[in-house]
Amino acid sequence: MPIPKEIVNWGILSEIVSMDEDDPEFSKSLIIQFIDQAQTTFEQMQNQLEGPKELKALADLGHFLKGSSSALGLQRIAWVCERIQNLGRKKENTLPEKEFLVYQSTLEIPNQGNYYDRRIGDDADDETYLALIARALEQARYEFTLARGELSSYYGCEL
Amino acid sequence: MNVNSSSGTELSRPSTGVSMATVASNLKTPSNDFVRKLYGILERCEYPDIVRWTETGESFVVLDTGKFTTQILPNHFKHSNFASFVRQLNKYDFHKVKKTPEERQTSQYGELSWEFKHPFFTIHNEEALDNIKRKTTVQKKILLDDSTVLLKPNEQHGLHDNSAVNLILANSVTKDKFNLLKRRVDRLQKELELAKEEKYAAKLEFQKLNSKYNTIVESLITFKSVNDNLMTGFNQLCSMLSSRGFEVPQPFYDQMNRGGNLSKGALNEHKPQKSFDLDTAAASMVPGTMPLAAPSHPSGAAPGDLSLPLAHITASKPPGGLDTNDTSVLKEGFHVLLVEDDAVCIQLCSKFLRKYGCTVEVVTDGLSAISTLEKFRYDLVLMDIVMPNLDGATATSIVRSFDNHTPIIAMTGNIEDQDLITYLQHGMNDILAKPFTKDDLHSMLIRYLKDRVPLVKQQEERERTGDPPQTQPQSQPGSQPQSQPGSAPQTRSHSITQIRPQLQSHQSMQSIEESVSQPSSTVSESDVNALIEDEPLLKKQRVQLKE
Repeated sequence: MPIPKEIVNWGILSEIVSMDEDDPEFSKSLIIQFIDQAQTTFEQMQNQLEGPKELKALADLGHFLKGSSSALGLQRIAWVCERIQNLGRKKENTLPEKEFLVYQSTLEIPNQGNYYDRRIGDDADDETYLALIARALEQARYEFTLARGELSSYYGCEL
Repeated sequence: MNVNSSSGTELSRPSTGVSMATVASNLKTPSNDFVRKLYGILERCEYPDIVRWTETGESFVVLDTGKFTTQILPNHFKHSNFASFVRQLNKYDFHKVKKTPEERQTSQYGELSWEFKHPFFTIHNEEALDNIKRKTTVQKKILLDDSTVLLKPNEQHGLHDNSAVNLILANSVTKDKFNLLKRRVDRLQKELELAKEEKYAAKLEFQKLNSKYNTIVESLITFKSVNDNLMTGFNQLCSMLSSRGFEVPQPFYDQMNRGGNLSKGALNEHKPQKSFDLDTAAASMVPGTMPLAAPSHPSGAAPGDLSLPLAHITASKPPGGLDTNDTSVLKEGFHVLLVEDDAVCIQLCSKFLRKYGCTVEVVTDGLSAISTLEKFRYDLVLMDIVMPNLDGATATSIVRSFDNHTPIIAMTGNIEDQDLITYLQHGMNDILAKPFTKDDLHSMLIRYLKDRVPLVKQQEERERTGDPPQTQPQSQPGSQPQSQPGSAPQTRSHSITQIRPQLQSHQSMQSIEESVSQPSSTVSESDVNALIEDEPLLKKQRVQLKE
């Protein structure tokens, strides 16, 4: 799957927003909770990359944030988290370059939807995967800023 | 002539066992020219560098097989190569003196020398040579096929030549050998026949499975189209009603409008994503999908059913969700255990569940899920897969060792085929793919709870009718439906409830056995059986709904 074009999948988020009917602020509180969670997770990832460098732990963190971001319809973050998860499990061994991942980039990702390069195989050492995850984390933070901006403007307040 | 004819008759009666050698000696023909020739060469010591007696004189040795082949064989024997010479020696019962590799290395005649021995073939003892006879011919002739043997005397008559007879003998096939081969051919033929039959059976089986698969796929597609038709019909009905002045608080439209306000692309995004959803596709495979379409069935019963939710709507607040009519099907008060480690998902999911009238309890890892399910009973369990302490699939397989009928639904983002099969094999009933919408969750609830009465209500009922209260029942399979006092209006759905848990427990029991015995996950026979078993159930439901 290529990275989604839209920051927010409104089909999903609007459904959550509709829950505000009998519980005002419900969706907003979820978003705030997510923002907190994302920041914590990014920090934990950073610590992993600088410290123990455990790929499995990174994969689990990626999986964790993928769950909550996709539940809220924050699909671009979820996409990057999935990359981190799969890189950590060595199910993928490439990550598209930054210019392909910039928001509203007109460039099409070459070899779409397949981030496993057979030529590289599973032989690459952990450092290779760690470097890719580090790059993905940078991308995730970038996506997080975008989403935060979009949500702030939607709720009309700084989140 | 006499001799020949007599020998001929003898030969035609192989059991008498008269050998060629005997015939030959009767004729006073030296039977062993070959041996004598060799003896002569050795006695005269013509080629001491190539072949000679050993020191003891009890055997002879070929020092150089190469020179033996090029110099001696062409001049003295009919054999063109050394191997055939050795064969001939063997026929006269000469034996090669066997040597271990060490002995061979230290041999005075060189590593490559061949030493042969015969008890009567010794130095300076020509008389003993008479005792040396061809051995194989004797056996051969006895075993000869009658027809082959009958030809022999004539040949022999014309030629009187041992070698010619040998040649023919070498080219003919013994009866035993022939019979052996014949048996072997027969056996092979039988085997071939058997394999053919097996192949045919396998092909048949494959075709059967294939047609079953096709039927399933077809019914799936039919389901989808029926569903779609009903949806459009329902929408038309709704818009007609609203155009005639009925106040229809259509959450469906509400949602669309809201989505439209939020984002330009929302409406477009909403639809394709849903149809792509693997979970919805899987939903149609399992019994219990029909209710979604059922109440709005445009038959006689439809208007009555429709009026019910509408009355309900005007009386209270609008129940959320695309399928307004379904809310009437799902009873209130189901107790759901949510096993999930992510705070956002917990809040969202429990919110949805409460919206559908469920009470929710939350635990955040697999271990607590097991201990909670040991103590309390729930109408349904929603279980995340990747969790700390213990993953959801393993937790489920443990829960299945003591609880076989509480539906356990996996919630997961990993929806690869292999994963799905693994989950099912661990005893999970279904999979709700993350991220899921309210409707996805709702159809899952409908599928597993539609025909059930919430445990709380059962409890109340029991207390009212004076049954001994059964607090925290340790889930005896089957106890739940039996203890249900079938109240009049639901007797029919009741009967299905009774069938369902049995089926499920049967299925999950097998799954556990399999996950224990063969962890490698393949689509098992029981999976297929369960599908097939489900098929009549589906039809039954459909028929029932049409009534």
